Amino acid sequence: MKPISVFLAVVLLVAALAACKPAAPVVEDVPVPEGDTLTLRINEDPETLDNVRTTSGSAATVIGLTFAERLIYIGTDNAVHGWLAESWTVSDDQREVTFKLRQGIKFTDGTDFNADAVKFHFDRILDSKNASPIKAYWKPLKEVVVIDPYTVKFVFTSPFAGLWNILNYSYSGFNSPTAVQKWGDQYGRHPIGTGPFMLKEWIPGSSVTFVRNPNYVQVREDAINKGPALLAQFRFLVIPEDGTAMAALKTGEIDVSILNSDTLPQVQGNPAFSITIDKNSTSLHFIEFNCKKAPFDDPKFRTAIGYAVDRDAIVQSSRGGYSTSIYNPLAPGLIGYDAAIGEQYGTPYNPEKARQMLTDLGWVDTDNDGIREKDGKKAEFEMRSYTGYTYVIRTLELLQQNFLDVGIKLNIKQSDWGVFYLGLKLNSLEMDLMRWTWGDMDVMTVLFRSPGHRGHIPEDAELDPVLDAIETTMDYNQRIELAHQAQVLLLQRMIIVPIQADWTMFAIKANIQDFHFDHTGNIIPGDIWFKK
Amino acid sequence: MTFLVKAAIPSDAVGMMFAGQLTETESAEAAAIIRAKFHLDQPPLVQFYYYVSDILHGDLGVSIRTRARVIDEIGYRYINTMKLAFGSLMIGILLGVSMGIISAYYKDSFLDIATMTVSLFGLSLPAFFFGILLILLFCVQLRWLPVIAGGGWKGIVLPAANLGLILSASIARITRSSMLEVLDQDYIRTARAKGLNERLVVFKHALKNALLPVVTIIGLQIGNLLGGAFIIENVFGWHGIGELGVKAIQWRDFTITQGIILISAATYVVINLIVDILYQFIDPRVKLAK
Repeated sequence: MKPISVFLAVVLLVAALAACKPAAPVVEDVPVPEGDTLTLRINEDPETLDNVRTTSGSAATVIGLTFAERLIYIGTDNAVHGWLAESWTVSDDQREVTFKLRQGIKFTDGTDFNADAVKFHFDRILDSKNASPIKAYWKPLKEVVVIDPYTVKFVFTSPFAGLWNILNYSYSGFNSPTAVQKWGDQYGRHPIGTGPFMLKEWIPGSSVTFVRNPNYVQVREDAINKGPALLAQFRFLVIPEDGTAMAALKTGEIDVSILNSDTLPQVQGNPAFSITIDKNSTSLHFIEFNCKKAPFDDPKFRTAIGYAVDRDAIVQSSRGGYSTSIYNPLAPGLIGYDAAIGEQYGTPYNPEKARQMLTDLGWVDTDNDGIREKDGKKAEFEMRSYTGYTYVIRTLELLQQNFLDVGIKLNIKQSDWGVFYLGLKLNSLEMDLMRWTWGDMDVMTVLFRSPGHRGHIPEDAELDPVLDAIETTMDYNQRIELAHQAQVLLLQRMIIVPIQADWTMFAIKANIQDFHFDHTGNIIPGDIWFKK
Repeated sequence: MTFLVKAAIPSDAVGMMFAGQLTETESAEAAAIIRAKFHLDQPPLVQFYYYVSDILHGDLGVSIRTRARVIDEIGYRYINTMKLAFGSLMIGILLGVSMGIISAYYKDSFLDIATMTVSLFGLSLPAFFFGILLILLFCVQLRWLPVIAGGGWKGIVLPAANLGLILSASIARITRSSMLEVLDQDYIRTARAKGLNERLVVFKHALKNALLPVVTIIGLQIGNLLGGAFIIENVFGWHGIGELGVKAIQWRDFTITQGIILISAATYVVINLIVDILYQFIDPRVKLAK
């Protein structure tokens, strides 16, 4: 071994060991009250708790459940309710929304929550120096203006109907401007909000612990407890592996865990746990096409494929039955979903009809090898999807069988999400298997308005205006009507073949009480308590 | 080398940071800012220049994901991985060498067959599976240890036992065959004939000579140890560079990944050097070429 390489290696090692600072845990100077602790599992350490700088799942979970309160929430009645905002008005031209804020609310560092704090948050999002991943969600937002200390106006370049959905996500929650200015780049390690819990300790890679905010006042109408949280501490434990998390649930080291179809049977029937199942899914699993590439440019061909898909079998195989077969191009948990539309315009499983349609389109098996041909071209196509999830593989396998059953050979190509998603833009794409989660009907516009989120949907003089109107119609009932129209048009064209909407399932310790959700699936943390 | 491999991969890390989260153009402004900050918009040669000059200044760069210094992110985790590696090595050596000596000494007895069967399991069982089994047994069934234990001895016991047991399997086998060979030698017969205490014969004369291949195997297994640590650290939530490495790859955080590869390679080089030096002490006939 050449001495020089050894020398460099030693130098590097020594430098590394000498230069490294062990990641100091963050410990805030707040008192730890007596009482119960709720321990929740997250998959990875949040990289930051500054909701302007990240949209990662673990960060959003922690931020949303503890300190970041928003202007509005969407209740189980599917209507928008005031939270930190008391009321609001929409201007005649639909381009301005003015909020009247509640008074007397303070951040946990004593700073007042007011119009300045609201403006401060959105200025940070819009400031390109912050490279905020949230900024793209706010395309129509031009600026936020302070009218008076408790009145703030949002000015948009065009009416923004998706506003109510975005406003209730955790990244629309507010941070104390004093704290942000004090900590600068380090604010993400020392967040301060108005919520029922405040940061106590953050051990990087291990856990984030919050304690009760003793001055908290709950202003949400759907909350049961109007005062400080009943829990003393809210703790997030980082457990990357599902298997390890299930073990920790069984030993009681965590109190709550999300379940999937593999882990649910392990706790079902166990009196130590209650299972909550939310069937109002906002996630849709579906087949997408490159609608600009033959034969997928023909709606009849896409429809034939729609009849070939055995959804019920896929639900059983990929989700263990914990999912609903869907015939609409919209998830059932979204306002605007109408199952009747799916029943009328959708494609229930009918392989005979699929075969008939394909034959009518000129795809016939002339050489008796089980695969159809047309104009010398074999019915052999590629479907792309992403790795890392059992439900994807099981769905793909069933689809292969379904397609073979009607005379189409399906080749599968999987890559991990990042590569897969970027690769969808390629013109070589034929079909892909996709799952999308979003809380508002404008998901249809985002995905299907030409040219489509990956560039494969042709212009459509009838569909595009409807999808555009969904984004700019502020009237609640009108918007629902547009959602219905969009679903009908999308199904008539079979732009996608919807498959299923999987359920959100939680296991919680049986003695936990008042663990309840709003329409968007947000838990109200101040209500939770342990029955003795 | 590390740098060239990274440059050859066609994935766009910055694009991927926002991919799938943003439904319209991937926040082109955000991406552009990050690209400029990390010199990603420069030609590869320029990037390499920055990279090398930074290393010589002790700067491994900044994590794309968290913006913290790579040195800080990796540093304490590296120490944790070394603790785990050391613990696993101790368990592996103690257990493996003991099993090997016993097997060799009581060759073909029940003890021999038993220990070799156990070692067969150690060789065949995948580390991941074994890890979950350990958790189910010791944490869920017996409740002797918590599932999530943090950094203390409670946290290191199971992962070290996991890796150590697997390591001991190969060490046991090599020790056994090496001991058998040595015990058969003339000088051992001589020592026994001289009336030397049996313990002295085995441990002083036989073992010392048998150790050379064992040390070789240990040196080779260091690589496996570091690699296995990647899996085990994730299963047990042990905060080492393996746990970080998996996440860094998923997040396409290539500055962290580069840093981990560099540190791992450096470690491997240094450990092999130590092994080479050890040879000299075990067998004076081996002289290091200077």
